[in-house]
Amino acid sequence: MSQGEKAGRGPMRARLGEWALIAIVVLYAAGLLLAPLVAIVWGSLAEGLSAFAREMTSADALSSLKLTLVMAVGATVINTVFGVCIAWVLVRDNFWGRRILNGLVDMPFAVSPVIAGFMLILLFGRTGWFTPLTEALGIKVVFALPGILLATVFISLPFVIREVAPVLSEVSLEQENAAFTIGASRLRTFWHVTLPAIRWGLLYGVSLTFARAVGEIGAVLVVSGGVSRLTETSTLFIFRSLDDRNYVGANAMAVLLAAISFVILLVIETLKKRTEQTQTL
Amino acid sequence: MSIALENISKRFGGQWVVDNVSLEVADKELFVLLGSSGSGKSTILRMIAGLTEPSGGRVLLHGTDVTNLPPQQRGTGFVFQNYSIFRHMTVAENIEFGLRIRKAPREERMRRREQLLDLVGLAGLGSRYAHQLSGGQQQRVALARALAYEPNVLLLDEPFGALDVKIRSQLRRILKEIQQRLGVTTILVTHDQEEAFELADRIGVLERGRLLEVGASEDLYVHPHSLFTATFLGAGTVLVGRASDGQAQFGPLSLPIPDDSPHDEGARVQLLFRPEHVALSADRPPPDLPLVGKGAIIEQNFTGPLRRVRLRLPRLAGTRQISPPPPFGEEGLLIDAAFPSEAAIDGQEMWVGLRSWTILDKPDPHLLVCDLGEGPTTQLALARLLADRLRARTTVLAVAEDPDQAESVRAKLGERAEAAGLSGATLRVRFGKPAEQIATEQAQSLYEMLIMTPRPGSKAARRPALEPRAKARHLGDTLMTVLEHADVPVLIAKGERSQVERVLICTAAGEPGKNDVREGGRLARRLGATVTLLYVSRGSDVSALTRSHLDRAIATLKSIDVEADVRIRSAPTPVAGIMAEIRERDHDLIVIGAHGPRSRTRFKLNDVMLQVLSIADRHVLVVPADRV
Repeated sequence: MSQGEKAGRGPMRARLGEWALIAIVVLYAAGLLLAPLVAIVWGSLAEGLSAFAREMTSADALSSLKLTLVMAVGATVINTVFGVCIAWVLVRDNFWGRRILNGLVDMPFAVSPVIAGFMLILLFGRTGWFTPLTEALGIKVVFALPGILLATVFISLPFVIREVAPVLSEVSLEQENAAFTIGASRLRTFWHVTLPAIRWGLLYGVSLTFARAVGEIGAVLVVSGGVSRLTETSTLFIFRSLDDRNYVGANAMAVLLAAISFVILLVIETLKKRTEQTQTL
Repeated sequence: MSIALENISKRFGGQWVVDNVSLEVADKELFVLLGSSGSGKSTILRMIAGLTEPSGGRVLLHGTDVTNLPPQQRGTGFVFQNYSIFRHMTVAENIEFGLRIRKAPREERMRRREQLLDLVGLAGLGSRYAHQLSGGQQQRVALARALAYEPNVLLLDEPFGALDVKIRSQLRRILKEIQQRLGVTTILVTHDQEEAFELADRIGVLERGRLLEVGASEDLYVHPHSLFTATFLGAGTVLVGRASDGQAQFGPLSLPIPDDSPHDEGARVQLLFRPEHVALSADRPPPDLPLVGKGAIIEQNFTGPLRRVRLRLPRLAGTRQISPPPPFGEEGLLIDAAFPSEAAIDGQEMWVGLRSWTILDKPDPHLLVCDLGEGPTTQLALARLLADRLRARTTVLAVAEDPDQAESVRAKLGERAEAAGLSGATLRVRFGKPAEQIATEQAQSLYEMLIMTPRPGSKAARRPALEPRAKARHLGDTLMTVLEHADVPVLIAKGERSQVERVLICTAAGEPGKNDVREGGRLARRLGATVTLLYVSRGSDVSALTRSHLDRAIATLKSIDVEADVRIRSAPTPVAGIMAEIRERDHDLIVIGAHGPRSRTRFKLNDVMLQVLSIADRHVLVVPADRV
């Protein structure tokens, strides 16, 4: 059924109702989504463009931004590799506990990030289970970079798996079988046949993972300790700036993060379209 | 030999999907594996390619045992049913994939690619992607891709299955041409007999994982050996009659049984004739042709090149029809005939003669066990015993009232069959009235014997009633209806005995019918049981007529190599005599004819049989009368 048909039918009153609903939705979205955006842009420019530039080039801001990007890239790489592996195992193999694993994968969605951070402290904190091991190896996890990375990996784990698994199960096994009979090794088949077939789903999952990793604060707040220029991510920087009443700095960083997220969102939308297109064809 | 399979088998979840298949395909041959879905044909192909690991047996390609090699090292070309070309690659990249893996130089790849695009008729489309091609074009690419690296053998798994009819026949022609030009040994799998006929040098017919027959298309069509091949390869009439003196008897129609297809005296014989081998004539019987009878045209269809006619003839005595499957309640004999459509058929009553026919090989016995889904499982245990001793196939049937119960009924049936050791049996669930569904099942497949139980909870009656039909009702309407209509022996499981060592054949119900003695004797022989032939006389003297009948019965048993012990008892009633005998000698199985002295119709159940069935706590084999 086309939209024209829908709108064309029915009495005047129904159509008025439809218009009213559209108006409400637009207002709601504008109020809830657009207004904060305008507010932070406005706040960041409250003292002029130079203040914005000054705050953004301050040593604290730059180091936090760098840390955030490094952590996000690291978590994305780790979650991409292991996410594809987990998705593969979940879709292709049948083993005892598969369903449990399948449920477990969603845990980071269900558990509050603060709790996730707290769990890491229980494992790696002063009296944590794994602390003797990490101390013996001379690695500091909690209140250090490994802790932040672990927390980020944890909270962004499901995205790649959840995006790749359905695409993977749709890829016909016969394509892989065909490649085998033609003479392609398993590895070659994965690179040349399987991976290209799941690439849009995978990229979508990667984008979501990255966006989530950039924006994370809860888990990081608990495990990082927030030492500026060392373990302070951009979100923590905003948090501290607000505390210090450095509103311009907080707003400027917020605008920057929002811009990164927005670009990623655009990328995601484009990819989604591509995915849908290739699937329908 | 390009391809040789040696006793190859595959078991999936307790079922033999491929059962001991051996096959040799010659160089440059196009061999077609033909079977319905689930016959294991694709599994065989995948085992040749190495995509499925066989449970037993060996695969040889060009004399080399490749059973343990991965698919990559077998060098087969495989075309799948669903479009398996790589969607992110162009047509050219798809075709070159195998050459790239083999590190062929660029010029070689290009030359080969262009050559193949030409061969499959896709020249100029090398830069297209899958989504820019039609289904038929995609399959051509798949074929070109499989041929590009010059495979040892070409394997095609229903390659045209998903295409529409016109494109299918066009692609068949292209395939045949390419195969002949390249001379690559090919196996094609299909369920479409027309496709098989059109392409195959030879055809192998598969049924439930077993390779039934291998042969040239025309041989298999005109002179099949098995019933399955006969009906699967095309339309035709299949009748079941009896072997007698080297002749197959179908009422008045008597045809010679060929020497290479031996049948026991009195055994069932299957006759096949194809519609185009039927001769019709309006005025007088077609001269010099075996005559089936005279019948009325009940249907006429124009199908383009052919005119198809269906006639109904009076039933032939002692003959049962398998194909075309007679609808429930059909009393006549249905015969399909076909003629070039320009031949006009006029007249309603026509004489039917046979221009050509085939006597099929003696079939494997096939048992139908009717299970009620609850209560004791004696009938299943008995079926298992018979299946073992007779080397018979078994189908276990349950009838549910309503299709919604299908899943649960089937699951329960599976459990019961498994528990009784009948895990190899085919399970079947039908819906509706039990007696009717059993009859339909029997009419659709060819069973040697039905195995049933009385209604659960029905206790043996204390003593013979005055009106046996009424008294026997406690056995259940289903059993009674089946007994009335069955034209194969019905074995009724009663009591708990799971072994059959002593068989009692009762001739007390009047004159010994030839059929019951023969069927009982044959069953006893296969079970390795002793046979007692019982005659119950009212007085102490035995008439000369009875003596001669008994002698005939003994001769019948002798003809099938069975030695019988003859007992003559005197008792007030035949039933009393039979009961005394089974108590005294502890027989496990009573064989009794369904005919009786007072019966007018051949299926009429006689009193003695019903009373024995009511009272005895032994298994009873009820044998239908000779249909003379």
